[in-house]
Amino acid sequence: MSGLALEIGLALLMLGVFAVGTVSHGDDRRLAGLLSAVGVLALTVGSFFLEPSPGGGRDAFVLDGLALFAKQLFLLATFIGILGSLSLPDPAFRRRAPEYYLLLLASLLGMLTLASARELILLFVAFELMSIPLYVLSGFLKREAEAVEAALKFFLVGTVSSAILAYGLSFVYAATGTTALAGVPPALEAGDPLLVLGLLLVLGGFGFKIAAFPFHMWVPDTYEAASTPFVAWLSVAPKAAGFVAIFRVYLEGVGDRVVLWVPILAGLAAITIVAGNLMALPQQNAKRLLAYSGIAHIGYMLVGLAAVSASGTAMILFYLVAYVFGNMGAFLVVETVAQAEGSVHLDALRGLAQRSPLLALAMLLSLLSLGGIPFVAGFWAKLYVFWAAAQAGLYWLVLLGAVLTVVALFYYLIVAKRMYIEAPQRPGRIAVSPPLALAILICILGVVGLGVYPTPLVELTIRVANGLF
Amino acid sequence: MGLNGVPILTLITWAPFAGAVLIMFTARHHPLAVRLIAAVATGISLLLSVVVYVAYDADAAGFQFYEKVALVPLLGISYEIGADGISLVLVLLTAIIIFSGVFASWTVATRSQEFYALLLTLVTGVFGVFVSLDLFLFFLFYELAVLPMYLLIGIWGTSAQIRPRGIFGWAIRETGVGSKEYAAMKLTLYLLLGSAFILVGILALYMAAGGSSFSFLEMEGAAFDPVVQRWVFLLFYGGFGVLAGIWPLHTWSPDGHSSAPTAVSMLHAGVLMKLGAYGIVRLGMGLLPEGTHDWVALIGTIATINIIYGALSAMAQTDLKYVIAYSSVSHMGIVLLGAATLTEAGLNGSVFQMFAHGIMTGLFFALVGLVYEKAHSREIFRMGGFGRMMPGIATAFTVGGLSSLGLPATAGFVAEFLTFLGAWRSTHSWWLFPAVAGTFLTAVYVLRVVKQIFWGPAPLHGEFHDLPDAKGPEWVALVLLMFVIVLFGMVPGLAIGPIDTATLPLLTRLGAWP
Repeated sequence: MSGLALEIGLALLMLGVFAVGTVSHGDDRRLAGLLSAVGVLALTVGSFFLEPSPGGGRDAFVLDGLALFAKQLFLLATFIGILGSLSLPDPAFRRRAPEYYLLLLASLLGMLTLASARELILLFVAFELMSIPLYVLSGFLKREAEAVEAALKFFLVGTVSSAILAYGLSFVYAATGTTALAGVPPALEAGDPLLVLGLLLVLGGFGFKIAAFPFHMWVPDTYEAASTPFVAWLSVAPKAAGFVAIFRVYLEGVGDRVVLWVPILAGLAAITIVAGNLMALPQQNAKRLLAYSGIAHIGYMLVGLAAVSASGTAMILFYLVAYVFGNMGAFLVVETVAQAEGSVHLDALRGLAQRSPLLALAMLLSLLSLGGIPFVAGFWAKLYVFWAAAQAGLYWLVLLGAVLTVVALFYYLIVAKRMYIEAPQRPGRIAVSPPLALAILICILGVVGLGVYPTPLVELTIRVANGLF
Repeated sequence: MGLNGVPILTLITWAPFAGAVLIMFTARHHPLAVRLIAAVATGISLLLSVVVYVAYDADAAGFQFYEKVALVPLLGISYEIGADGISLVLVLLTAIIIFSGVFASWTVATRSQEFYALLLTLVTGVFGVFVSLDLFLFFLFYELAVLPMYLLIGIWGTSAQIRPRGIFGWAIRETGVGSKEYAAMKLTLYLLLGSAFILVGILALYMAAGGSSFSFLEMEGAAFDPVVQRWVFLLFYGGFGVLAGIWPLHTWSPDGHSSAPTAVSMLHAGVLMKLGAYGIVRLGMGLLPEGTHDWVALIGTIATINIIYGALSAMAQTDLKYVIAYSSVSHMGIVLLGAATLTEAGLNGSVFQMFAHGIMTGLFFALVGLVYEKAHSREIFRMGGFGRMMPGIATAFTVGGLSSLGLPATAGFVAEFLTFLGAWRSTHSWWLFPAVAGTFLTAVYVLRVVKQIFWGPAPLHGEFHDLPDAKGPEWVALVLLMFVIVLFGMVPGLAIGPIDTATLPLLTRLGAWP
């Protein structure tokens, strides 16, 4: 049963949080959040003692290298997200804290299961378990019209994507005659058009979740209206889960037939990179800027996917880790500034370098990492993805991606300009609450650590990815 | 390894960075200590560059002072450095320019600690590029040399005083052309665009060479497919060409160099543009001989456009700093023309011009900075008669100007003469005519500026009285740079010797020698 250890541990933690929720009263029930943070940290640490095992060919639930790696990533991202959420200023987050953290953990449970699922129904159930709490969480401030609108938008788009996913999966079942994913490669070998159609529909369903263009429309509005630490987490963890699901369905055991996906994935990657970067250009709201830049990052990960190789998969995993640190770091700095200034407009960041040099440095490092500058994590992430694509001979995609990083650097540098070159709107340091500071510190250590010494993680991801092929 | 076991190139490269770290952590709020640390750190680099220059064994040729440490064995990335004749000359140039740059910007007042820290970090990147023998390391250093520029120009730069008028006035106001923020962003984006092409080119070569090593020396041995050579060369030419200021990708240069603070202009126009030309010669011509032959006619022709276009643009400027900036565009044309001739004289002239132009443009920008600091003006036709008030600055400017127009006994003459000789002997002899016409135009705009500002009469109702001459630490920069211009003009063999040991093997690989 050790394969389910993390899921069982998380379920117990959820029971604990639930119990705290039922016994605690009053306006400040953040004990539930503290308990979640400690619990998730314990699970994260515990996950490093688990041993992956390849599992049988038709197992529905496996704890192989990919599953374990993905689970560790989800747990880490959730830990950072919970830390960032602890000091949310709105009273609703204190009064209804157990709800908030329980939903977060429920979604996490869905992700953990998803990472191990090798069976269509389990995959779909895990997917829904991950998604439904997200809709609730994005409308958590239920008295704010914007939040409700964002949640509704997210919900509608999300359910439609789930429906498409289910529809696609039904085709896959029809073509393979089994709900096990292991049935896909042989059927693909036979070249069944129904299966290809089904898998294309499934890709559309996943595309919504990872927010690839043109399935991205819910992203900016949801990000803008939902609470920032939640968005920081939303922008990384479910997307990582979406990629893991894609690996399971499209790459695992498919063998030589994977080349079937190259034109579709390469096209999707190219259009996502171009659209994400161009739409990010005019943004003046930090959260919308990061939302669109996040779409572009998904495009870069799709470049690695288009390589349909072990090295491409490994480099996406590396990219995901770098993206977790860089993106969450940037969002959490925005949250810190917003708590002091009451605004997520880029103008709120003006003169940050003179007000709080360390906070500005944290933001700068996160942005440089997102922009792909040497000596921080994002550089290696982009480089490795390009490397994998070049190995696959996709030079046009590499060139396109490399040129569009310059567009991305433009809008990241605009933020740097606000912080370093312009004068502050008003003087005074910006206060940072301890848990938020800790969360930012973790992100920055990750960004710089991976930037300076990426080798161990690269080797690990290559080992993990080789298990798939 | 190194020189007698001392990793001397590593010391040269990282001494400025060590200075930067020291400045950030120890010298808070002690402006004088900041400057002294910067002067000592760059002084060490300068001293050691002279040492390697003298210690270089011209008979053995090839890459010397070699060091290698594996960094990422998985991908074949290593810290592999060494210097041949071309690198040595450019390392020396960098050391001279940054050492004088520290003195020329002695008076930076705001946030001087961060200014010097960024400047010294940038210099480490420049040294690193010139000595890297690993393509990946080369790229890392290249990025390090480009990025701090954004903050250096954005924070410490000056916006141009002249606002363009006319039908474009509205668009220009909207985009902020001429402001330092605009210039900083433009420069950074152009150069990063160039580096994106370079990265793709490097990755393509890496894959074509078997995907196991980024080592320059190993790639030199690989015979690349002609198709790969053709397109990768174009990527390198485009990528490095942005930094080298090739027409029509040069427009970041006048804006950027005019807005940058003095030391940054000196370093950027003096050294960083050479970095682009160095990349084309080292990676493009060194690794891709057949690709070179495919594109050499284009390179030479664009170079002649650079020469004429840059000179004509410089003539039309009324802002002193823009004149110098456009003159760099023109002179970089000579560098690339020399390289494109594929002759011994031309290639030697090209490298010599990198050095000579680096020194003289460094001197110019130092002087423009001094003049601006004292007169608070860069408008050529508002100033006049400065020769009486600041004879030292006037003399230095004249020396730089004469070298710029190629007067014998200055370094500029040697470089231009060799390049012209090479152009005539090349397969495209017609290149000689635009090149010579370019020096004539150079004489026109240089002498016009020198006469107007320094030696002509002061304007009636002039607003400038009793301006001081250069003083104290500022003299270090001026005297050092003037001395180098005259020394290398009188004894060109000092540089031609080592350069020749590196260009001949290069021409042999290109099949152009003997």
